[in-house]
Amino acid sequence: MEDLNLPPIDYAALSPILILFGVACLGVLVEAFAPRRARHPVQLVLAIGGSVAALVMVVLERNTRVVTIGDAVAIDGPSLFLQGAILLLGIVSLLLIGERSLEAGGPFVAQAALTVGSEKDNRQAQGAPGNTEIYPLAVFALSGMLLFVAANDLLTMFIALEVLSLPLYLLCALARRKRLLSQEAALKYFLLGSYASAFFLFGVALLYGYAGGVNLQQINEAVAASQNSDILLYAGLALLAIGLLFKVAAAPFHVWTPDVYQGAPTPVTAFMAACTKVAGFGALLRVLYVAFEGVQWDYQPVIGTIAVLTMIVGSVLAVTQQDIKRLLAYSSIANAGYLLVGVVAQNREGVSSTLFYLVAYGFTVLAAFGVVSLVRDADGEATHLSRWAGLGRRSPLLAAIFTFLMLAFAGIPLTSGFISKFVVFGAAIDGGQSWLVVAGVVTSMIIAFPYLRVIVMMWLSEPAETTPTVSVPGWMTSAAVFIGVLATLALGVVPSPLLDLTNDASLFVR
Amino acid sequence: MSGADVLLLALGAVAVGAGALVVTTRHLVRAGLHLVVCLGAIAGLYLVLGAELVAWVQVLIYVGAVVILLLFAVMLTRAPIGPADDLDRAAWPAALVGAGSGLGLAALFVSAYGWRAVEVAEPGTAGLMGDRIFGSWVLPFEVVSVLLLAALIGAIVVSRPDIGAKDAKERAR
Repeated sequence: MEDLNLPPIDYAALSPILILFGVACLGVLVEAFAPRRARHPVQLVLAIGGSVAALVMVVLERNTRVVTIGDAVAIDGPSLFLQGAILLLGIVSLLLIGERSLEAGGPFVAQAALTVGSEKDNRQAQGAPGNTEIYPLAVFALSGMLLFVAANDLLTMFIALEVLSLPLYLLCALARRKRLLSQEAALKYFLLGSYASAFFLFGVALLYGYAGGVNLQQINEAVAASQNSDILLYAGLALLAIGLLFKVAAAPFHVWTPDVYQGAPTPVTAFMAACTKVAGFGALLRVLYVAFEGVQWDYQPVIGTIAVLTMIVGSVLAVTQQDIKRLLAYSSIANAGYLLVGVVAQNREGVSSTLFYLVAYGFTVLAAFGVVSLVRDADGEATHLSRWAGLGRRSPLLAAIFTFLMLAFAGIPLTSGFISKFVVFGAAIDGGQSWLVVAGVVTSMIIAFPYLRVIVMMWLSEPAETTPTVSVPGWMTSAAVFIGVLATLALGVVPSPLLDLTNDASLFVR
Repeated sequence: MSGADVLLLALGAVAVGAGALVVTTRHLVRAGLHLVVCLGAIAGLYLVLGAELVAWVQVLIYVGAVVILLLFAVMLTRAPIGPADDLDRAAWPAALVGAGSGLGLAALFVSAYGWRAVEVAEPGTAGLMGDRIFGSWVLPFEVVSVLLLAALIGAIVVSRPDIGAKDAKERAR
């Protein structure tokens, strides 16, 4: 028997992914061997330290452009940029996840499967020590995201998708308060997510039948030259796109988003809103730009229609929301629509503007959920909008920060929200997609209304008896909110360094 | 029509028939046993197509492990053993979705390939599979193990009993 031919492996280029996999496995061992008291600090330091180390490796490898390990992973400009973005946003999310001072025992419970309302469950909601397995799980999710945006064949992409999704399903179930909502969110996300994964997998199978391989380059060549029926190509692309659009919460595959965002623990919601969105759009960009460039004129109108639908659904339904987390969920759907506008632009500016938008939106949404986690009463977070009335009188600083973030979401100049919308729409006009820009501007005006309503409510309403207190944040939440606000401001005032970076990073390797 | 074609059609009919019985029977245990027949027939399909390793893995994992797990779940929970009327919901929507997607996919394949035969390059022997898995697919293969580890940790997180509760009580004393 001849020897096995191992493919050449560029370990340096893969090192960010490998570091995070290693850190997650170490975290599992810490659970087994470290004493209970020491686990939380050790896990926190390990997770953040590992992410920083991976980020350093991404920066060191910034000029690498290779396809390695049997063509399974492409390390190029977009994937390095997205990996860096995911790691930065992930570190800030880990700060939110690590906060222990807001609630006795931390924001996560230890036993997710207890019957809601039972005596044991009430006891654990009242401050039993939470679990620390969330750190390995979050790092697993992060490493899956890093692989997801760099995957160069559909099989690797599918497995990375599962690695990033599975821990997220579980993390959703661990909220300390409102246990029923949390369990419902986890189950709903799991069932719908598996359904979307099945669509993705079937799309991969059809594309294999079409192209004779699942490598993105192979599909690209097959699109130009294959003799097989085009029905396989279009059906495969459609099913694949459904799987990916589900992850980024584009309409009509968005129905899980409000329930899951509301039910999940707020730090986990922030993590999903920032990092999963980056990963999902990164993979979508790679699939559409590398594998299906040859049929871009065929899918452009379809994705464009989905973008318009997503913007309309997100912004119109956001107007009717009474819960701040659901409002932010619909805002996240609308933002997915704006991001799709950049994806559809089909030019280099389209890629770079989408990358910019992802980073800008990620920091803003992290800070927003950080603030949400601070407004609390005796029952945990007070997320109903009526409870936020008069918050500006009680705690002006927090209300001012949230006002700034809302204005950034609405796209007011001097915030990153304005610049990112501007570059995305600019790219779409260059790509000849002005109808999308019209829809984008109209829906931006619609969705400004709920944002402004929150602001008016905070500043102009009289505080009621039931207006919740604002917890004094621990240093970790303060740091996360501060970083988010600073990035929102900085990217709004001096966006050119990041714009240059995204421009340099916007070429896919083939 | 060659012998292989006849075998394929026969096994396919067995798989579809057993699958239909799985969803129409009113005995939970019988549904599990019909599933064995269905999955076994699919393993036979793989064998006819020359994918011997996939066929045996199908028998080992699905027929062996998954169905046994299912039957254990029936045994360990208080699931009804005899015929149960409450197993069935309104069947029409499900039948519509199932038949719709099944026929749709069949139409897709017919229109894509017509009735011509597609040559398979090499039969899926164990040697070839091993070569591919550890050659070109080594990264996905390794990442699957990470996925399984994450799933394992997750299962523990979701379902573990109250570890350390006794310590807390003793400390309270």
